[in-house]
Amino acid sequence: MKRILGRVAFNLFAWTIVLVTAFPLVWMVITSVKPQFELFRIPPTFWPEQITFEHYARLLWETPFLLYMRNSLLLSTATTLLVVTVATLGAHSLVRFRYRGRERLAQLVLFTYLLPSVVLILPLYLMMVWIGVANSLLSLVIAYTTFALPYALWLLRSFMQGIPDDLENAALVDGATRMGAFFDVILPQALPGIISTSLFTFILSWNEYLYALVLVNTDEARPLTTGVMNMLISAFNIEWSLLMAASVMMSIPLIVIFAFLQKFLTRGFGAGGVKG
Amino acid sequence: MAQRGASAAREAMAVPGLTAADRAAVNPLDRGYALLGMVLIAPTVLIFCAVIVYPLVSAIYLSLFSIFTPTLSGSFVGFRNYAELANSPEFWRSLLNNLIWTVLTLTLQVVLGIAAALMLNQAMVFRSLARSLILFPYFVSTVVAVLVWRWLFNDLYGVLNHLMMWAGILDMPLDWLGAMPNAMVSVVLVGAWKYFPFVVIAVLARLQTIPETLYEAATIDGAGAWGRFTDVTLPQLRDVLVVVVLLRAIWDFKEFDLIYLLTGGGPIIGTQTLPLMVYKEAFGLNEMGRASAVAVAMMLVMLVFMLVYFRVLRARGEEPR
Repeated sequence: MKRILGRVAFNLFAWTIVLVTAFPLVWMVITSVKPQFELFRIPPTFWPEQITFEHYARLLWETPFLLYMRNSLLLSTATTLLVVTVATLGAHSLVRFRYRGRERLAQLVLFTYLLPSVVLILPLYLMMVWIGVANSLLSLVIAYTTFALPYALWLLRSFMQGIPDDLENAALVDGATRMGAFFDVILPQALPGIISTSLFTFILSWNEYLYALVLVNTDEARPLTTGVMNMLISAFNIEWSLLMAASVMMSIPLIVIFAFLQKFLTRGFGAGGVKG
Repeated sequence: MAQRGASAAREAMAVPGLTAADRAAVNPLDRGYALLGMVLIAPTVLIFCAVIVYPLVSAIYLSLFSIFTPTLSGSFVGFRNYAELANSPEFWRSLLNNLIWTVLTLTLQVVLGIAAALMLNQAMVFRSLARSLILFPYFVSTVVAVLVWRWLFNDLYGVLNHLMMWAGILDMPLDWLGAMPNAMVSVVLVGAWKYFPFVVIAVLARLQTIPETLYEAATIDGAGAWGRFTDVTLPQLRDVLVVVVLLRAIWDFKEFDLIYLLTGGGPIIGTQTLPLMVYKEAFGLNEMGRASAVAVAMMLVMLVFMLVYFRVLRARGEEPR
């Protein structure tokens, strides 16, 4: 009996902690479906008296939100494709080949993985102006590789180190070339690692703010992060429900990916994983 | 190529445990592999040089100039930017703020992270849902986190002030972001909320590998719950915690988005850290050269953390991760 009571108490306690942690996100969803006038109720109502989706409708049809969304999708997809392709080849090379400077290169990768964007941003800004791609999605794809490539390379390298050498050896015995073995044996084995690396890279690009702030100042190329923030700053009076609706909308792709990633998560970290 | 690979592989198969890379070192026929390896890494190296190495060198170079941001015209001034920084109270204040923010938020992240991981390692109803909810703040965009918290912190209609007044902790609504030291406290709290899940992920993964027998042995030796925690769990977590603390210290130190979006460094420069100062010098005051000097100085401070990190990994004879 005492045991059962203890279990119940622990569960209550634990779930209270979990709900307190998640409260800001719950509050975001609740605020986004409250009518504007209900926000200024004192004391605030917890459960909306009236559920409305007008803010979502306004967000989609009366603000540049969809444009930002398109930009973010293009940008994150392009960055992910570029970075993961390059990093897969690079990681394979770092793990399975031997040449001068290999170790040093691996160390350089780790160093750049810890490098602050704010140091690179000024020269990158000058570089973009100079080669004439400033203010475009392309400039952001280029800038995003500075953090995404070291990250993806590092993660994929850890994943690939986990693939037994014997698999490649067996393929070579059967007459495959090194590249043949890479495509037929290594790539399928590394696929879970490649998928989770892609998803993490996508999240990283989706959430990036600083480069977008500095390198782009037109709506045509602005991603969601700076776009939504602009809606806060440029608004005459801040419409919190609209901003909360925008926050919910820009988190939806993350929720989808997150559901996917659940099972990779601990493994991903074991392999060097999650970056902040 | 196929022929060569096959024959080499057959040779190597006679000696178990050799990898393709090892054979390349032994067998001159496989020298070509080194070349292939370099071809595969070439795109990475090219991109690295263009977007990381060149800008890094360039940042140091820029810090020796005085550059007006809108026109990008400038003149060489040598080390004057650095001399100015050394005499600038704002720089030292930002560095101090940077250290305060890093130490406080990191401490909170680690303590909360370990506690939450221990909790989530126990049997509880809907445990995987609870785990997802705890991890979620880490994955949402900083922009989303900041918007939500600014709404919670809102002095007139924010739910935080109401809850605390209702609970009797506060008499008056608190200005969370516009006054000191509240602003620093708020930034630290939001930072802890956003990033403690990183500690949870790492610690939870490690907790699951601690052998149950260690706990049984400790119980037989008469250890209570707290004794088991300090004698078994903490020593087992030590290695992973060292890595986590160093990584988070580096990432927290260079944090820009969260602080910039929450307070913009304000009130005045109350929460201004070095990354914010770089941004302000470059795009607020149009002093691109001096901004680079701040960035380089910040790099030097971070280098200390990084060297410690590398040293720890090497001392362990472990692969960095």
